[in-house]
Amino acid sequence: MPKQSREKKYVPELPEKESEELRNAAKTMSVKVMADNIERMKKTNPTRPEAMQYYDEVANFFGQREKEILEEKAKGKKVIGYFCMFAPIELILAADAIPVRVNSGWYDTSKLGDRVVPVEVCPVIRSTIGAKMVNLSPYMELSDAIISTLTCDGMTKLSEVMSDYTPIITMSPPRVKDSAQSLHLWKEEIKSVKTQIEEITGNKITSKKLREAIETMQRATKAFRRLQDLRKGNPVIMGRDAMLVNQTSTWDNIKRWTEKTEALCDELEKLVQQKTWACPPDTPRVLVTGTPMFWPDNWKLPTLIEEAMPQGVLVADELCSSDRLLYDPVGIDEWTMDDMLNAISERYLMASTCPCFTSKDGNEDRINWLINKIKEFNVNGVIYYVVRGCMLYAMEYSRVKKALDKMNIPVYYLDTEYTREDVGQMKTRVEAFLEMLTARVDF
Amino acid sequence: MITAGVDMGIQTIKVVILKDGQVVARSKAASGFEPTKAAEQAFEEALKTAKIAKADVAQVLATGSGMDMAPFANGTTSMMGTDAKAGVHLFPTARTIIDVGAEEARAVKCDERGIMMDFVVNERCAAGAGTFIEAMARALEVKMEDMGPLSLKAERASPINASCVIFGESDVVTLIHRQESKPEIARAVFDAMADRVSAMVHRLGVNPEVVLVGGVAKDVGFVASLKRKLGINILIPENPEYAGALGAALIAANRAKGAQK
Repeated sequence: MPKQSREKKYVPELPEKESEELRNAAKTMSVKVMADNIERMKKTNPTRPEAMQYYDEVANFFGQREKEILEEKAKGKKVIGYFCMFAPIELILAADAIPVRVNSGWYDTSKLGDRVVPVEVCPVIRSTIGAKMVNLSPYMELSDAIISTLTCDGMTKLSEVMSDYTPIITMSPPRVKDSAQSLHLWKEEIKSVKTQIEEITGNKITSKKLREAIETMQRATKAFRRLQDLRKGNPVIMGRDAMLVNQTSTWDNIKRWTEKTEALCDELEKLVQQKTWACPPDTPRVLVTGTPMFWPDNWKLPTLIEEAMPQGVLVADELCSSDRLLYDPVGIDEWTMDDMLNAISERYLMASTCPCFTSKDGNEDRINWLINKIKEFNVNGVIYYVVRGCMLYAMEYSRVKKALDKMNIPVYYLDTEYTREDVGQMKTRVEAFLEMLTARVDF
Repeated sequence: MITAGVDMGIQTIKVVILKDGQVVARSKAASGFEPTKAAEQAFEEALKTAKIAKADVAQVLATGSGMDMAPFANGTTSMMGTDAKAGVHLFPTARTIIDVGAEEARAVKCDERGIMMDFVVNERCAAGAGTFIEAMARALEVKMEDMGPLSLKAERASPINASCVIFGESDVVTLIHRQESKPEIARAVFDAMADRVSAMVHRLGVNPEVVLVGGVAKDVGFVASLKRKLGINILIPENPEYAGALGAALIAANRAKGAQK
């Protein structure tokens, strides 16, 4: 990595020796946590599909995928990182660049972020800053530029802090989704990002390339939805496994990921035929909504749910780090450049249920999404997960709770931090919630 | 049928032995550094009081934050579930159970069968729980058990910050330096706790009848403040600190019956 001579407006200089020590400690911990998570996922489901082995390997941040990207970079490819799922992946692919999501799921680096921003700030932001301070994330280090969408306050300022290190492409989504100008403004943002990606990569995004990229992502959505459909019946895959599959799509080669996911679905369909279930079919079915959860450390809640006594199974989520990722395809009428850009704008804006939006009816889209998922996936209870400082998700809770009360669906608000210390307390609450769901199912 | 419930609290372990729906023995012990040993001793003691042999106990269930540390139990059950079960057993009309213990406060909504329907727990801070009284009593240099009666002498409460035990303690020191009266400070402590607990209960919805259990339910000062805040009558059982253990014993009886069938 060439040393960057940017003036650091936010971040304190960290002596190289200290940085290295902190990076090594965090990396050692991370390797342990990744292995431990996978071990526990295997233990929870003795009939875990063999196809999961592929994702276990891709999940290793310091493994094969890092080497692969390094090799492609050596051949001249550029890497475009991104924080929010608003980044138009199709445009990155169409410029022959590699998209990678770079939010941090590391607990330890959030303490480093405390040196730059107050502890009241959301830990996803603090941890991402901390990871960059010690160059922990291979994908962040490999990024030639990072697309930062100004969704919540944390993300808005994160883009400024991160520009101390890496060129940042900002995208400003309109806050009111259904106003007359919103889609127009957003399309202008999409076009501007297209130009910036072209400049960084030196590759022109042609109609032909863009069409190919859209079709690639449509195939990914198809595989993704196939996996989703398999989670609607008796549990054939544990929620953590599905979550890992979904999340690896944000840093894996998406074409290969699609093939592997189709193969996983083939295997799962066989398991369904054999009536081989990942857990007893009467296990309470849980949906998680709220703050995104990132691999590897922030696997805390899904692990607690699926290892609890009584056990629960995560059948769906409403997280921008998992079930929301590839759900919506770009819908094309005509394959002209203008139409394709229109379709991309619509897909990334209108389909989003992010609480950074409001409209005439508030964030009604999110409520509808939840209600539909609860019905489709036969959900028994919802855990509303918020990390401290995640204001938008915290504030929408009351509305979600009211809507779910009407459906007689129990919902539990669980707030936590980027820390391992509160697992005991969380366990008590999660187990009481599952016990309640079990009692409801029994009677 | 004989069953037992063991409530592995952070400060105190409570044991209840139940015979055909009637409590035949209670015992408690300080959790200390060896909660497993303390629990075994408390269990033995309760068996002795009830004149019952261990082999005659059909099922033992553990609850409380240290529930995993009672290896002699046949299983565990959540504190919220035991609150609901015990609350409705003690008062059949109960629909909201508030449990204030040493380090945690929680509220549970339940139906007529004592099945919990919803619950809230104070968020990772002991300011609404018993430890708060202990810390404040220390700052005021009075015995913890005298705090309640002392507070009842006050007509008004001194202003106090209840967001945190540590800040609360420094607030109390400031009040002492300003020479505010001890009863008014004591009442402020309970009002502050009641504020936290009632806010929590309101998030759940106040469904009468409301029952208060847990060790802090024995504190007349807290009970007076909570009644004022909620503006409704609150039912308090005898031996409120044994509610968790009682609930566990009741659930154990249900499970044992289920197993017989």
